[in-house]
Amino acid sequence: MFNIDQGMPDPDKLYDVIILGGGPTALGSAIYAARFAMDLLVIGKTYGGLIASTHVVENYPGITSVSGTELMEMFRDHINSLNIPYITDKINSIEKEEDHFLLKSVFMSFKARSVIFATGSERKKLNIPGEDDYAGKGVSYCATCDGPFFNDKVLAVIGGSDSAAKEALFLAQHAKKVYIIYRGEEIRAEPINKKRVDNNEKIEIINNTNITEIKGEESVKAVIFENGHKFILDGVFIEIGSIPNSEVAKKIGVQVNEKNEIIINRKSETNIPGIYAAGDVADAPFKQAITGVAEGVIASYSAFDYIKSKK
Amino acid sequence: MSSDDKYKEVIKREMVKLTKPVKLKAFTSQGVEADGRKIQTCMDCGQFMTLLRIYEENSNGMVTIEELSIDDNPEFTKRYDIQRVPTVLFIDDNGREIIRYLAAPQGQEIQPFIQAVFAFAGAPNYYEATIKNNLGRIEPSTIKVMITNTCPYCPQMVSVANLFAIAGEGKIRSVIVDISANLDIGQYYDAAGVPYTIVNDQKAISGLVGPEVILRALIGGNIRVQY
Repeated sequence: MFNIDQGMPDPDKLYDVIILGGGPTALGSAIYAARFAMDLLVIGKTYGGLIASTHVVENYPGITSVSGTELMEMFRDHINSLNIPYITDKINSIEKEEDHFLLKSVFMSFKARSVIFATGSERKKLNIPGEDDYAGKGVSYCATCDGPFFNDKVLAVIGGSDSAAKEALFLAQHAKKVYIIYRGEEIRAEPINKKRVDNNEKIEIINNTNITEIKGEESVKAVIFENGHKFILDGVFIEIGSIPNSEVAKKIGVQVNEKNEIIINRKSETNIPGIYAAGDVADAPFKQAITGVAEGVIASYSAFDYIKSKK
Repeated sequence: MSSDDKYKEVIKREMVKLTKPVKLKAFTSQGVEADGRKIQTCMDCGQFMTLLRIYEENSNGMVTIEELSIDDNPEFTKRYDIQRVPTVLFIDDNGREIIRYLAAPQGQEIQPFIQAVFAFAGAPNYYEATIKNNLGRIEPSTIKVMITNTCPYCPQMVSVANLFAIAGEGKIRSVIVDISANLDIGQYYDAAGVPYTIVNDQKAISGLVGPEVILRALIGGNIRVQY
């Protein structure tokens, strides 16, 4: 849980490292930065990150099964035990000054010798008519947040990833029926979750199908398939992947790949000395909480080494 | 330790650090038993007050929660437009309502509630300087945040809304509504997702957004924020 003692950040202080992000990658990185006795500040929009909305996490070593919310609280306990300062804000720009970086948000400016991007990713949108109109009114990107509103309703999960399968499994606890609507041939869930989906009588998979519109009145009432068929339902949960939050990094010249993921090496270094990246925002092919934490920890170590070399 | 016990421990651990007094008003509905004892007559009021007393009892006497029965206090009830119980109000020294809770500050919602209590008592507020610098461009405003107690991202929206309100010198009010306990309010706003934030009953913001988005909604449009 939280700790009221974290106090206010100091705009005049030169931090050793500022970690951007609030998910496992950022928090894992912060724990190591604190252990390296670095002056640090964590600035994030979402405490716990995307994993906070995960129904159940079963692949974090040492923890057999835990909800994303509980895992987030465990991270928070650990962060607070080290008195690591965390603020809710979004950095809009970073400038290189003589021996440090200047980070600006709408609310404050900060100075840091090094910066770690652990900014994760945003849920990708379908960008179809009706999606924005019915956001919060039957269109959702978070089953854990909104699933309980749909008791005994008919729902669709759009997407074919492991996350989509997990969302469907969670929603099936509340809903009368859950359809996984996937544009491909076969959903790409981990075998353990695919088996659970197959064994769940409430879940049905509709393959090779795109939706082109979400229709409703006060709330969602139907989706329209590519072939024009109108499919009646009460809610749409969109789980079609994510977009890395690398815009601010790009503005200062950090190199990204074609997916806008920050290119890092095995030390979590970017092309700019003093700037590191880790987790979902970086270019690893397989993104998990555990791999993000590992990259974040390496980023802290590299930042520590970098600062030591400058002092 | 059960999660309830864990949360109680957190309230105890954090509230004891409060060093300045805070007075809150809790509106309930009370009846009188045959033996003269007062009892809460609304379904959730007893449990709600028990929870609030945990905050009060562990604050070294710094928090005072005044329980007001709407039946016995028609003037207050009318003045603050209390339409349902239980309701908790943070009222400033000028009698202006700053924060209204139509939600029990339990579970993950403990954090933003304690943060609000501390900021209301004068603890540093990260957003204060920017809000004050932009007050000239903010009309009297209400930020309503629809939440549920199981939503992982709601506490952050609640925290921002409350801290904005506390910095707003009476110009900004936050209203925190648990729509699983106040279904009619959720239905009124067609909210089937949380957090769901409504600024001045006009601009609806679905999901978790950064504090700068709420600030821009308060100022109106994409005006450059002064900081």
